[in-house]
Amino acid sequence: MLMLPEIIVVLTAGVVLCLDLFLTERSRVILAPVTLLGLALGFAALLVTPQTGDLLGGRFGMDPIAWWFKVIFLIAGFVTVILSMDLLDGRAAHRMRGIGFRGEYYTILLSTIVGMMFLISARETITLYVSLETATIPLFVLTAWRRDHVQSGEAGLKYVIIGALASAFILYGLSILYGLTGQTSIVGMSAKLADVPRPAFWLAAAMLMTGVGFKLTIVPFHMWAADVYEGAPAPVTAYLSVASKAAGLAFMFQVFYRIFGSELAGWTPLIAAFAAVTMSLGNLVAIVQDNIKRFMAFSAISQAGYLILGFLGPADNGVPAMLFYMLVYILSNLAVFACIVWYSNETGRERIEEYRGLSLTNPIMALGMMIALFSLAGIPPLSGFVGKFFLFSIAAKAGYNWLVAVAAVNSTISLFYYLRIVRQMYIEPIYEGAGTLPVRYTVAATVGLLSLAVALMGVIPYFYETIHAQTITWLASLIG
Amino acid sequence: MTLQLIILLPLLGGIVAWISERRGSSDVRWIALITLAADFALLLSVWAGHPAAAGASRVLLDENLPWIPQLGIGFHLSMDGLSLLMALLTVFLGAIAVLVSWTEIRERIGAFHFHLLACLTGILGVFLSADLFLFFVFYEVMLIPMYFLIVFWGEDAKGRVAAKFVMYTQAGGLLMLVSILGLYFAEGSGHTFDYNRLLATRAGASSALLMLGFFLAFGVKLPIIPLHGWQAETYSAAPTAGGIILSGLMAKAGAYGLIRFAIPLFPDAAHRFAPCAMGFGVIAILYGGLLAFSQTDLKRFIAYSSISHLGFVVLGAFAMNATAYQGVVMQMICHGLSVAGLFILAAVLRDNAGTNDIERLGGLWHSAPRLGVTGSLLAMATLGLPGLGNFIGEFLILLGVYKVSVTYAAIGAFGAVASTIYALWLVQRIFLGPRREGASIRDISGRSLVAAAALIAALLWLGLYPQPVLQRAEPSPRAVMGTPASDNSFELHPRILARALELPRE
Repeated sequence: MLMLPEIIVVLTAGVVLCLDLFLTERSRVILAPVTLLGLALGFAALLVTPQTGDLLGGRFGMDPIAWWFKVIFLIAGFVTVILSMDLLDGRAAHRMRGIGFRGEYYTILLSTIVGMMFLISARETITLYVSLETATIPLFVLTAWRRDHVQSGEAGLKYVIIGALASAFILYGLSILYGLTGQTSIVGMSAKLADVPRPAFWLAAAMLMTGVGFKLTIVPFHMWAADVYEGAPAPVTAYLSVASKAAGLAFMFQVFYRIFGSELAGWTPLIAAFAAVTMSLGNLVAIVQDNIKRFMAFSAISQAGYLILGFLGPADNGVPAMLFYMLVYILSNLAVFACIVWYSNETGRERIEEYRGLSLTNPIMALGMMIALFSLAGIPPLSGFVGKFFLFSIAAKAGYNWLVAVAAVNSTISLFYYLRIVRQMYIEPIYEGAGTLPVRYTVAATVGLLSLAVALMGVIPYFYETIHAQTITWLASLIG
Repeated sequence: MTLQLIILLPLLGGIVAWISERRGSSDVRWIALITLAADFALLLSVWAGHPAAAGASRVLLDENLPWIPQLGIGFHLSMDGLSLLMALLTVFLGAIAVLVSWTEIRERIGAFHFHLLACLTGILGVFLSADLFLFFVFYEVMLIPMYFLIVFWGEDAKGRVAAKFVMYTQAGGLLMLVSILGLYFAEGSGHTFDYNRLLATRAGASSALLMLGFFLAFGVKLPIIPLHGWQAETYSAAPTAGGIILSGLMAKAGAYGLIRFAIPLFPDAAHRFAPCAMGFGVIAILYGGLLAFSQTDLKRFIAYSSISHLGFVVLGAFAMNATAYQGVVMQMICHGLSVAGLFILAAVLRDNAGTNDIERLGGLWHSAPRLGVTGSLLAMATLGLPGLGNFIGEFLILLGVYKVSVTYAAIGAFGAVASTIYALWLVQRIFLGPRREGASIRDISGRSLVAAAALIAALLWLGLYPQPVLQRAEPSPRAVMGTPASDNSFELHPRILARALELPRE
């Protein structure tokens, strides 16, 4: 029962792949609904599975944190499928060559989702590494999906090389830890860490952090992000910007809280420095971006900088704050990307200046995008503000007041560039002869629901309270 | 529920207005007006239900709902005399703003009124919050609707100007956020954002920096002199209603923040900082007056004269005694009323004479006598003529400041002279003097006249019989100190002022 959601998603992947064999090209439109159905079933299964427990001799574990992460992964996957539908089944597919193979596409997408779901449940370093690779390798393929598009291919190649490098760092780090402790189980490893010789331990820790840094796009390990985001097909970029980041955070949770425990308590100045550099650089570079996908890449980098503020404080504050912010971030980012994907599918436009007049042609989409952008900028009462506030307060509590000031300045800067898009949509004159662009009801509903959730989560404290309460039980189980 | 209702009513009215426009209704303006009238009636019922004479309970209403209890955040609203006065001003000026937009705004009327009313909700929230987190949320909530008011219905380079306005305010707001967090984690705060409990917190060594964060945030809103870069452009780009809200209410949110938060939360730091802050006030009074004198655009003139008049607010707030405090409250209200009147004047001139350029106007009295009278009365109010409310405000402030520092009082008094010069000069250039070509214009009439008359009536009432307002503004300090009502000549230590502004604990 514990693994039911994962099993359902894997089965769906199999079903989609097999169906693909027997369907004609025209009837392959049903693949996306099948995928959605599978993910929805997986989500339903997640709701009924118990939130705590072990399987496979303790190699697979479930706890509230893992539960929330799986919720995040499934939402991200679900929305990505909806966005991919808009690209693969819509008119855009005829215009852009090299966009086909829907069966494989959804299968690969499902396998990365499943990899991430295993990642947060892994309780053993080999499982951990394998699930990380299961989550990552399909992403390389998805990035390079537009085979005859140079940028897409280049992005895929860059991502493979950098991704392999990151994986190598992680693998080396894990091997060193194994060598030092003689354990592959996370609990066993963690128990023996105290007696491990220091320089070797630090080397392992540094390698793991570097590897995670790549996944989370922490400066200076961020340089792949912009090119990959720009080159990948837009729905994949959406998925990369949320799910891959969430996976990075999940891995960081595993390493930071489960393996290292309190061993890295002295490293907070380093994390603070990384956070400051990441948010500042991401923000400053975002200002000058012209392509909206690159722009979102740098915005995502700066968001990662805010996100890791949560590691500065004790786990009982930091974990719920980071989880909450992650949830808010993926909802906001997906809403923005839903608009980007739709707009690029309909018009082929991807430059920020080309969003002008959107509020007049498609007011609902523009409104949804604006709410999401303001949430990312942290304007109250939207949830992005509440999330940022929790993270800032952790940094302040840990005594990093300078960092809070840096973060506040960065928030102001970020408002400036998010406003750039809003200004294009709302102030600049409309394209001559531009009429209302058609919107699929699935995409419109997605944007509507996501932006509504973004707005409501800032006002209704239920989510944060639930996450907070569940974190406390999780921590209690970790200690006891 | 009353306070929540007072805050949410405008927002709900705005939503209704927007929806009804979409459904083809033409009564959008009436919906907005009726909503505000209902809100005003609600506030008046609170006024009537809690006579000021019963000084024992300084807090009229207090409503505390849990919101995010893990972090000590509550949906805590509280109303004392000061909040009540500011809320009344907000709703009153809101209604005026609706009236003056009646003919000015012709496009997307529903959306306009939604943004206007949403903005008012934010401002009311600011005046009624007794939780710093909530306060910050409302402080920011009023920003975005204002951005759109300028962007959609403004003039000139509105996009750039609106962005500048948002950036300035946001930067200040985030500095305040840092300060709020600093206070939250200060030793002994008990990790709460509740205003009353934070009043008892002393932030220790860092309190000077924390107070500075608040001061800068409110300084941007007022604005004080080095932080005023956004103001003149924004005032001239904003639609009339936007200008009224910006100068009449949002600037008051800054002033309110000073006397409600910056000073009482950090009394010792504020006390040390007072000479410097009063210096800023004096600079604003004089430099603002000087700049006002050299403007040729009426809206820019309003902007700089506002700086000058709000300099009095800073000066009085940091004088930290009861006299000056009452003067500050009075000045906030009267400046809000008179500046709204000036914006109406500007709107009428732009519509009827086709320009706001003072150099191109002149000799309008003959063709537009009603406008001339209105304009002169407003100018008289601006210059602080006895009999109009602004005089009471500035007089009380100078009186209070005199007790603390004769120098500052003397320099501040020059500000009153300066405002006399520029206000009279304004009347002379627009209404008197040689008649320019095309000087025959349509007179002020209809709704604008009603709105202006209402403002002038309020100013006259405040000038001739300020007692009810002073009483509302006053009980807080006096009730705590137990000094006889006739004696205003005490020094008020900031700590006592802090206690005086305290709201009840449960």
